[in-house]
Amino acid sequence: MTGLALTAVAAPARRREKRPGHGWLLLPPVLVLLGFFGYPLVLVVLQSLESKTGEFGLSVWLDVLGSAEFRDAAWKTVALALGATAGCVVLGTFLALVIAFVPFPGARTLSRLVDTVLAFPSFLIALAFTFIYGSAGILGAGGFLYSPFGILLAEITFYTPFVMRPALAAFGQVSSAQMEVAASLGAKPGRVLRQVILPEALPSLASGACLTMLLAMNEFGIVLFLGAKDVTTLPMLVYGKGIVTFDFPQACVIAVVNVVFSLALYGTYRRLTKGGQRAAVDQA
Amino acid sequence: MLLWTRRSRVLLWAVFAVLFTAIVLAPLLMIVLASVAGNWTGLLPGALTGSHFARALSGETFASLSVSIQTGVIASLVSVLLGTWAALASQSAPSKLRKAVDTLFHLPIAVPSVVLGLAMLVAFSRPPLAFNGTRWIVLLGHVMILLPFSYSTVSAAIARMDPLLAQAAASLGASPVRVLLRVRLPVLLPSISASASLALAMSMGELGATMMLYPPDWRTLPASIFALTDRGQVFLASASTVLLLAVTLAGVVILGLARGRAAQR
Amino acid sequence: MTPAVEFRGVSVRFGRTTALSPLDLTVARGETLAMLGPSGSGKSTALKALAGFVVPSTGRVLLDGEDVTALPPHRRGLGVVVQSYALFPHMRVEANVAFGLKARKTPRAETARRVAEALELVGMGEYARRYPRELSGGQQQRVALARALAIRPRVLLLDEPLSALDAALREDMVAELLRLRAELPDTTLIYVTHDQGEALALADRIAVMRDSKLVELGPSRELYQRPSTEFTASFLGASNLIPVEVIQPDGTRVRLGDRELAADPSGTFRVGRPVALGVRPHRVGITAADAPGALPAVLRGVQWRGTGFRLDLDLDGNEIRAEVPDVEGLPSVGERVGVSIPDGCPLVGIG
Repeated sequence: MTGLALTAVAAPARRREKRPGHGWLLLPPVLVLLGFFGYPLVLVVLQSLESKTGEFGLSVWLDVLGSAEFRDAAWKTVALALGATAGCVVLGTFLALVIAFVPFPGARTLSRLVDTVLAFPSFLIALAFTFIYGSAGILGAGGFLYSPFGILLAEITFYTPFVMRPALAAFGQVSSAQMEVAASLGAKPGRVLRQVILPEALPSLASGACLTMLLAMNEFGIVLFLGAKDVTTLPMLVYGKGIVTFDFPQACVIAVVNVVFSLALYGTYRRLTKGGQRAAVDQA
Repeated sequence: MLLWTRRSRVLLWAVFAVLFTAIVLAPLLMIVLASVAGNWTGLLPGALTGSHFARALSGETFASLSVSIQTGVIASLVSVLLGTWAALASQSAPSKLRKAVDTLFHLPIAVPSVVLGLAMLVAFSRPPLAFNGTRWIVLLGHVMILLPFSYSTVSAAIARMDPLLAQAAASLGASPVRVLLRVRLPVLLPSISASASLALAMSMGELGATMMLYPPDWRTLPASIFALTDRGQVFLASASTVLLLAVTLAGVVILGLARGRAAQR
Repeated sequence: MTPAVEFRGVSVRFGRTTALSPLDLTVARGETLAMLGPSGSGKSTALKALAGFVVPSTGRVLLDGEDVTALPPHRRGLGVVVQSYALFPHMRVEANVAFGLKARKTPRAETARRVAEALELVGMGEYARRYPRELSGGQQQRVALARALAIRPRVLLLDEPLSALDAALREDMVAELLRLRAELPDTTLIYVTHDQGEALALADRIAVMRDSKLVELGPSRELYQRPSTEFTASFLGASNLIPVEVIQPDGTRVRLGDRELAADPSGTFRVGRPVALGVRPHRVGITAADAPGALPAVLRGVQWRGTGFRLDLDLDGNEIRAEVPDVEGLPSVGERVGVSIPDGCPLVGIG
């Protein structure tokens, strides 16, 4: 769900009015944000630095970062996110290519359907998967669903539309004249794809991949619903420590690590989208 | 445009159909089928029944639906209000301040919803503001998650808006308040309603923060669906999911109608 | 001699719209053919069918006698230059020009040589390392030409290549194209345009098109001086069409008002059907209202066009246009003047 909105966020403002400062009007919403978002996050950081005996220090941090459970979760989170992103990019690009360049009647409706699917919650996929791959499901393969690969497949299934949307937009921008001329010069479809279409769509695809990586890394619903025993991601760990075992300091440490990863990815995403838009302007 | 021979095109479409069905259609189909399945051991459901929907619309699950709707409506109203306010106010602020506010309001996106939930739990289980265990913490969590998107949708629309409209109104003698109420807001109404649709859909589907925050008397539908799944009641869970989607869709459509009428003016 | 290009009954339909009615046309090797017409006339569609970008609904397309209708564009060996240049933005100029050669797996040394050669031919040798976005419109168009010529195509297709350029640049580019044509005598050129000046300057023959049909086909000069249809007369040469009465059935003498004129019956017309004289604006003479032999007219408007004056006149209910070098001695707008029409103007059927 976040992803649909995130793709809307990427549009930068082009014109700005210049008017005498009325900055004080901003105060109420900013205070709300700082008070109910900033303040809690600061407390999380502080709580992570508070040991069991109430001392201020890095003891909880060292405990957590050194624990196998954390390292396993961190590794699994990153690996799953990378794997899901790779799968989504390949699949999403392929599907978008077909809709954009080998159109068939109803292609436009399909891309609108893709847009609607973007609005669904992720646990829907997990639930659907139990009916397909679960032990009682159609393709009941026993343990597959509850292994990392089951989660990977579920994430790819859910997040592919998030790559399709920017891909479709980017492919729409490639001029058909360029593709026609390329073909007339002797380029077979494969060459046209490699040398004309993909290079031009690359900035959008990169930012779409970055977005997917961010979302997959923070994915919670799918992992929760599939409840795989040996697959724990960072968000799941935060949930477990916070709600199940009530070990708040540890939960906070993991939360901070998660946020740091997340912010890094988000920063990259913002820079990629801005850069992408700039490149597009140049080519006009 | 890309493939010139009929044969290559047909081949590609076949592959496409298989993949697209697997990715987009199959999950939806599964959920819908499961929601009306009496039992399901083979390839297709054994018997069709409406009992799951009947149960979904009564008792606990229905209460959760009502909670979700209330949360969704209130949270989206508040987030749209705050977001629009911030977007409008930041437009007339000095540019350094505007950039800072822009970054600030986009930050919650980079925070995973579970972490946001944890943060609120940690912050509001103690004085001065201790409303953990009440519905307000859930509402607040939702508002914080929705806020960056409301802000950004309206902010983008403001940037696209023709500055001459407000200037023309001012040159005709309208006070800033009048310009705001009579010119700016009506022009922005379509995007405000679009951001409301988005906020509603996001709130209805929110799971991460909610799981960290909900008190027993304020359980949203997604949280209930999880509880059902955890207990093994997958058919009821499917029916409830379909219900969730249907209600969300209805809400978005209603807001879209309002937007349509506004756009005609 | 086998024609370089042949259209045999080629038509293109999209659903219920006919983009091109069945077209029969041949182009000889080394010839330059202009396809001239307003937008929607089907000229671009014909070009696309030839290049293979569009599959004809009926008919066959032949290149050097070989049926290429079912052949995909990358196997036809044609060079294409389009209005929007369609240069690949992420490649430098030299990579753009080399594209076709690389697609044909030309060895590197030979590719480099032919790229340099093609760029020299269009005068862009200095710009090989630049990116398209650093070039002006005219420069980009030259690079597009070089790219198409590098593969040494048997036929070069140009789809309104100069429409995106400003007037002065267009003049220069027409001269460039003429020079190029002289250096490549064996290359057949098919040039699609809506500008009659370009067509007249460049083409050996002109195919006039309208509403997806071929209206008239013939050598440029002939079409210009002796058009056989009303459309050709007005579109190619911006003639005034002045309805007249036929005195002699073969059309060599006509009556306009109370004057008798000799005419050149270039068009086909049937006795009894309305006919008109095609008179070019610069051949319309303006005299005093009471001059002997003058036809009475009213002056409706005067515009200065830099190279001369354009006069809008009302000749007995017909709106006509005249071009005169200066307006000294002319009465003011709304007054009566005399108009003289020369002998020998083409006569075409109208309606």
